[in-house]
Amino acid sequence: MTVATALAAFADFLGGERAVVERVEIVLAPDRLTIHRPDGKSLHWLAADLRELPDQADRTALVLTHPGDPLARLMVADKEIVARLRANAPALHRRPPLENKRRILGWGLGALASVALIIFVLVPVMANQLAAYLPPSGEKALGDATYERIRAALGDNMLPVEVCEAPEGRAALAAMAARLNAGPDLPYAVDIAVLDHDLVNAFAMPGGRVVIFRGLLEEAANPDEVAAVLAHELGHVANRDPTRDALRLAGSVGVLGLIFGDFAGGTVVLMLANQLINAQYSQSAEAGADDYAHARLTEAGLPPAALGTFFERLRDEYGDAEGLAAHFSTHPQMTARIEAARAAQEAAERAGRTGTPALDAGQWRALRAICGAVVDAPVAGKALGGKKAGG
Amino acid sequence: MAFRDLSTEYAGRGAAMFRLALKTGALTVFTLGFYRFWMKTRMRRYYWSAIRPGGHPLEFTGKATEMLIGFLTAVVFLSFYIGLVNLVLMFFSFSLFKSEAPAYAVSFLGLVPIFFFAHYRARRYILARTRWRGIRFGLEPGVKGYVWRASLWWLVTLLTAGILWPVKTYELEKYRTDRTFYGDQRFEQTGGRWSLMAAMKHVWLGVALIAAGVGMATAGDEPIWLIAAAMGGVWAALGLAYWKAESFRRLSAGKKLGEAGLRARPRAGRIVGIYLIGALAISAILTALVAGLLVLIGLLFALLDPEVISRGFDDFASLAALPAWAATALGLVAYFAVFLFWGVLREVFITMPMARHFAESLEIVNPDALLAIRQRPRDEFAEAEGFADALPLGDGI
Repeated sequence: MTVATALAAFADFLGGERAVVERVEIVLAPDRLTIHRPDGKSLHWLAADLRELPDQADRTALVLTHPGDPLARLMVADKEIVARLRANAPALHRRPPLENKRRILGWGLGALASVALIIFVLVPVMANQLAAYLPPSGEKALGDATYERIRAALGDNMLPVEVCEAPEGRAALAAMAARLNAGPDLPYAVDIAVLDHDLVNAFAMPGGRVVIFRGLLEEAANPDEVAAVLAHELGHVANRDPTRDALRLAGSVGVLGLIFGDFAGGTVVLMLANQLINAQYSQSAEAGADDYAHARLTEAGLPPAALGTFFERLRDEYGDAEGLAAHFSTHPQMTARIEAARAAQEAAERAGRTGTPALDAGQWRALRAICGAVVDAPVAGKALGGKKAGG
Repeated sequence: MAFRDLSTEYAGRGAAMFRLALKTGALTVFTLGFYRFWMKTRMRRYYWSAIRPGGHPLEFTGKATEMLIGFLTAVVFLSFYIGLVNLVLMFFSFSLFKSEAPAYAVSFLGLVPIFFFAHYRARRYILARTRWRGIRFGLEPGVKGYVWRASLWWLVTLLTAGILWPVKTYELEKYRTDRTFYGDQRFEQTGGRWSLMAAMKHVWLGVALIAAGVGMATAGDEPIWLIAAAMGGVWAALGLAYWKAESFRRLSAGKKLGEAGLRARPRAGRIVGIYLIGALAISAILTALVAGLLVLIGLLFALLDPEVISRGFDDFASLAALPAWAATALGLVAYFAVFLFWGVLREVFITMPMARHFAESLEIVNPDALLAIRQRPRDEFAEAEGFADALPLGDGI
């Protein structure tokens, strides 16, 4: 090493007072860099104090700074000095200490608090209040927009999902809805549609729209199970849950977009975050809709346990949502819901409210063929899910 | 003594930019966007230092923590507006109009002044943190005047179907430039309100050609005229590149810094070339990347389930061997990889060549006048560019 000898060269120095570049002589000794300025003054920058400006485009030169003189810049182009400084200056890349720690913490907590306040308190409270004041026609418009969006999203090749219209099937569905007789609880007529899709699911939308997917009709063992799911969705309609959700979404999506910025398109993270928030809200909404369904089913002389048997089969097939997955699931854990359905069944049996199945065998066959597809229906006579739960 | 005009060197390198953009971009993805303040700061330091008027680099002295604080400040204020106002608007929109469109329209209109506000404040922060020859730039406070002027000129532009766009550009540039300082010396924008009109001529020619072509085709029922319309489309696109170069040249020539001034000669042909070559390079590399990812995924499948090859590959259902979480993970990795590389390649093949071309075409006229310029005090400006960061403004570096 040639550290012992001093090296001298010329360099550009910026004092930070005038827009003038000073041509200075620099002398590099083992422990310091001496800068001789044109006005005769000299600066002594200790090796341990030398810092390099980070992320510079020109890597052949070195722009040096000194913590004691934040405005001064020394631009060294001399290859040997640059190489020696890069090899020997001990703290060339040390970062300045983090300033404003308190302010960052303060504003960070402030931002967290205001976002939490808005997303978890203000937006839900306002959505709950406003949902009750939205006129039925406005709700219907909101539901229609959502309905078309869901059909488009689940469609294939740009075509929206087909609506199943087989007349006998529609008649069976109407009979089932009439039996549940939710009408008096609702401010608008219920509009039930079956969509030709494999999803084992059903949705309620604002304005009394209920959508059942073909997959659910195929998965159900008997008409009582479909009636139970339908009663559950009608519970959402009666409680105006979909309207609340839609208003809440309008409030919270923008705020989430604000936080994550345009990071990676944002959409994936945005959707996940929104899912997490919604899951918190909806658990109570689902329990409310279940309660409504139990009451309506008991009233209609149908077994509330049908909701339970259906969930039971879903759980055996797809597993319960426990742990992390439960946070992302909008439904309360199925075991709890099955228990609740059983309890409702026992209460209904004590009260002696058990009647005929929701649909007769012919109607059940028609409902399952509503999309035109002929499926192997389990024998309709075995439709009394209540027996299973009651025994 | 009189100095020669100062020309500008450009020191940026594609490979170095690729590494920096990839590294900081990946960190941003891994931290769910939190690293973006550091990413922006580091990218700016690089871009600034690459531009070297008279052989001395610009320096960006902003700190990521400043931007973080500014962002947090903006979140505190904006989240109330965006959350509650949007919710209430959506309610009234459906109550009164049975549709969501009015809510979006009003919500957007309400944000427009905030966009202009954020734009001016971001410019102030960036200039306050830019130095050349050790001297700070600066922008005077004046955001109120900017917001109403920008709203007015945008309205005028919309009402005149875009014909007065060059006037709007000049007026807003003049408002900003006249409040911009280098050290203690104020900039001035000269040239006049109408000085940019001619820079738009090729766009108008192209638009006229489209209108004439479509008009003739429909009036005379002769589809051959649609060729004229298509030519007009190409002409207008090239005209936009001409506008970009010519308006920059005219605005630069009109900027005075005391006795000193600027001169720029960017070329429209070069701008078109950068976009064309950039688009080709980016699509070629992205295609190769996606193909590589698919091959990798295919190999993975073949390892997990060797029969997949003999069974044939019809649709994704035939890939049942893959557990759901692995499929999700693969999908996420692919999504973020493509997104990340798209951003990185855009920096390397579009933003940087463009910065290089504009920088290299820039000269400082009569630089002796700079010698008298003194330092200006630091503009603390704690909010940094928080509002611009929180709103999707696009990156006006």
